[in-house]
Amino acid sequence: MKTHTPVSPDRGTTPSEPFEVHDLPPEEFYEQVHSFEFWFHAVQGYLGDKVYGADPKIQAPELPDLDRDRLITVLCNYCVGETAALEGASGLIGIAPNRQAKIFLSTQVVDEGRHLEVFLHRLRLLGVADPEGEVERRASRSLLLFKRRLLELVSGKDWEAAIFAQNVILESLEFTVFQSHAREADPLTRDLLLGVVKDERRHIGFGENELGRRLQTAPHIRARLGQVKRELDHLVLDTLEETLLELGADAGEREKLGRAYLEAAARLGLGA
Amino acid sequence: MTDPLEQETVTTEAESRPRQRFELEDTGFDEVPPRFRKFYRRWRGPGDQLAPNEVICPVCKVVIRSTRELRPGDRVYCMPCMSRLIVVRGEDGRLEARVAY
Repeated sequence: MKTHTPVSPDRGTTPSEPFEVHDLPPEEFYEQVHSFEFWFHAVQGYLGDKVYGADPKIQAPELPDLDRDRLITVLCNYCVGETAALEGASGLIGIAPNRQAKIFLSTQVVDEGRHLEVFLHRLRLLGVADPEGEVERRASRSLLLFKRRLLELVSGKDWEAAIFAQNVILESLEFTVFQSHAREADPLTRDLLLGVVKDERRHIGFGENELGRRLQTAPHIRARLGQVKRELDHLVLDTLEETLLELGADAGEREKLGRAYLEAAARLGLGA
Repeated sequence: MTDPLEQETVTTEAESRPRQRFELEDTGFDEVPPRFRKFYRRWRGPGDQLAPNEVICPVCKVVIRSTRELRPGDRVYCMPCMSRLIVVRGEDGRLEARVAY
């Protein structure tokens, strides 16, 4: 598919210069992308015609019993992750250091609430009569421990550690797993996951950029974040391993996705 | 190893030529408000190639596009993940983007 057309070489700025997003002053860029207005027009593009996160023309497929059971377990754990992020993001609004972060987090709360709702709805379509009870029965122990620790960091008003746990660690895990799952999922689950991944891009970007800026002005925070990472890594990697086994990923794919999860932390200088 | 972000910019012959300009067309990317959509596209997999005005966001893996040919030292924005990036030449000679916090 042709996506761009070369035109004449640049001979200097002219009054008819086309709009170039990359020329925006940084302050204007940050103001724009952290706004509810930006969020609203962004999600309208990919959710405007969806019903419970999926194209209403896609029928819920009949799945073999084993596949259905595995999908229920996976979705139950997605619900745990989304509940953790919903409760975490809403708690973080109160301690966010500035207006842009507060408004961004309010959009993240809406996203996380939507994710929880669509995953619970998918469970109902799979014939689960009491999805919330099923989530309690099937939740991964590692993920529940992660959730408990995240909410402790939030209630302890530890902004950097909580943003790291939630928007870097948890969101990177979800971003990695959802993309992998979408490649092999039934059409309805795939459509739903692809919409969630689009939201997750904002969440991982917010976390990495917020912490990256803070680490530049307060490098001593790095040691604290390294400690949080060492504490939470095994819980996240155990959860990743459990989920990918349920999804039928082979050892090579599991290793590749484990590395992808660690990339964001490495960019922040938290590789060890 | 020298951090490419701290390296002095060496201007090659190709980079001293006027920049090629590009008229961007809609690629179906729907994750940002309509006014900004033409500046981004999805990576289409192993057979895909980056044009001289494109670079991949290392954070969210979306392809970032500019109306100008990109060169080392250029600053670009990834709106889908809200990142500010700087274009560098990678070890394999291709253009890459690094996050500028």
